[in-house]
Amino acid sequence: MATTERPQGQAIVDRAYEFLVNNRVWKSIFRIGYPNTPRNQMLAVATNVFLHLHPTRVHRTHVKITHTYCLGGLSFFLFLGLTVTGVLLMFYYVPSVERAYADMQALQTDVRFGMMLRNTHRWMAHGMVITVMLHMMRVFYTGAYKPPREFNWVVGVILLVLTLLLSFTGYLLPWDELAFWAITVGTNMIGSDPILGEVNQFVMIGGFEVGQNALIRFYTLHVIGLPLAAAIFMSVHFWRIRRDGGLARPL
Amino acid sequence: MVADAPAPASSRQRGAMPSVRPRRQREEELLVWPDLVFVEFIAALIFTITFVALAILINAPLQDRANPANTPNPSKAPWYFLNLQELLIHMHPALAGVIVPTIFLVLLAAVPYFDTSNEEQGRWLATPRAWPNLIVGMTVGFVGTWLLIIYDSSKHIVLYERFSVGSEAFRVWPPFMAEENVRTWPETLNWLKSVRALQTDINWHNDLTGVPIGETFIRTDLLGLPRGSIQWNVPAWIVEQAIPIGIMVGLPILLSLVAWRTGLARTRRDHMILLISGWFASWLVLTVAGTYFRGAGLELLWPWDVYPAES
Repeated sequence: MATTERPQGQAIVDRAYEFLVNNRVWKSIFRIGYPNTPRNQMLAVATNVFLHLHPTRVHRTHVKITHTYCLGGLSFFLFLGLTVTGVLLMFYYVPSVERAYADMQALQTDVRFGMMLRNTHRWMAHGMVITVMLHMMRVFYTGAYKPPREFNWVVGVILLVLTLLLSFTGYLLPWDELAFWAITVGTNMIGSDPILGEVNQFVMIGGFEVGQNALIRFYTLHVIGLPLAAAIFMSVHFWRIRRDGGLARPL
Repeated sequence: MVADAPAPASSRQRGAMPSVRPRRQREEELLVWPDLVFVEFIAALIFTITFVALAILINAPLQDRANPANTPNPSKAPWYFLNLQELLIHMHPALAGVIVPTIFLVLLAAVPYFDTSNEEQGRWLATPRAWPNLIVGMTVGFVGTWLLIIYDSSKHIVLYERFSVGSEAFRVWPPFMAEENVRTWPETLNWLKSVRALQTDINWHNDLTGVPIGETFIRTDLLGLPRGSIQWNVPAWIVEQAIPIGIMVGLPILLSLVAWRTGLARTRRDHMILLISGWFASWLVLTVAGTYFRGAGLELLWPWDVYPAES
């Protein structure tokens, strides 16, 4: 809980605190001291670009874990984790049919922590698909899509599709049997539509079968196109939560 | 929970917008710093530890280098698309791969525009009858989808052969282990072996397997073009399109109707919970069946009989 009192009787700690906080460098970054008064606590949230996604106050039911299980936030957290591990993976990976698989092997055997980097990225990707779906179920069963939040639900459905596409495009990149045939099966499904299917499949994989063109398309979509789209829709999603009055609660 | 501080009756009306909400009660609120930020920090910490542990313990798979000339059996899509691949086994590919998911996503996005009341929002399953609808929807979706998969994979034949009552079957226990007691499915009922059997095990008249649509309805010759020659295969159309569409559209409507007539679902929220829960269960069954119950040739098998793909 918020407290207005600073711990007493710890002169050295207090002096260290004063030394750390009461100087031009700290104040140029954070503007306020450690947020230990209600006013500073609200300012800490309102004046910080990362924290100001939040309102300064929330209804106390919304802090209960069982209300949301943090699922939306965890999806976003996984997105950030995937961005960090993904950027690192890009250092070691060249999206060419000749090199991709050898790069994966080199990553796993020659690069320090390479295997762990790849594992983290893959499990986080699966985790994000799961948390996004669970988040959708949470929103549905708490009735949080109801007016005035209808449109944010629609944005959420778009983000679900983007999450699946992000995962799907990443699936091809290792260029092993699993990747190749999963994408072949997946894109054949799209190609089976009698009206625009073949055109869509051709555009998607840049040819009649999964090859170099498909790899570079999936890579580009995976590392820049879809993450940008997801970031834009996430901004709208978070913005709308605030604009529509925070998390849903009984009227 | 939110049993505290009931809002005035005026704001509980249907469609009340936030502008008519009562003044926010400050004592009901907490500061984001530290109360929420702390929870978020702990959640992020737990997830970081979990994923680091996962990454240490389980290695991501890397199979042999991709070889287009070498098709593994079975070839499977990523797990979250195996529900669609499972649908693909039972209906026209265009339906399973494109049309059903597209229509489904549009309907899903449209949920808040069907269910426009805003009573009891922001609480877990708080509307009256929410739990019964959830349980009924999930049960029907779960059992129904399994039954449909089993029927279309002809596994009811196996059940009949092993468990047919009235034979000597039950003298030996367990009956399904005794090969000599196996009964065969009556030939007159061959058309009930699967949905596809409707097409293959009925002597359809030739007029029906090739109805000349192109020549009768699509008169391209009137535009000075060659006459179209599209042939409509009625039995194939029934099996691949009419029955799957009928099941996917008809069964949810039937479920909703029954729930409405029996008083289980009265409001739109009730119907939404009923149908979306049914879909969640059905989606889960399709994913699980596609992942763990489909072996070589995508045949329906027990999970312990499904081996990794052989190429």
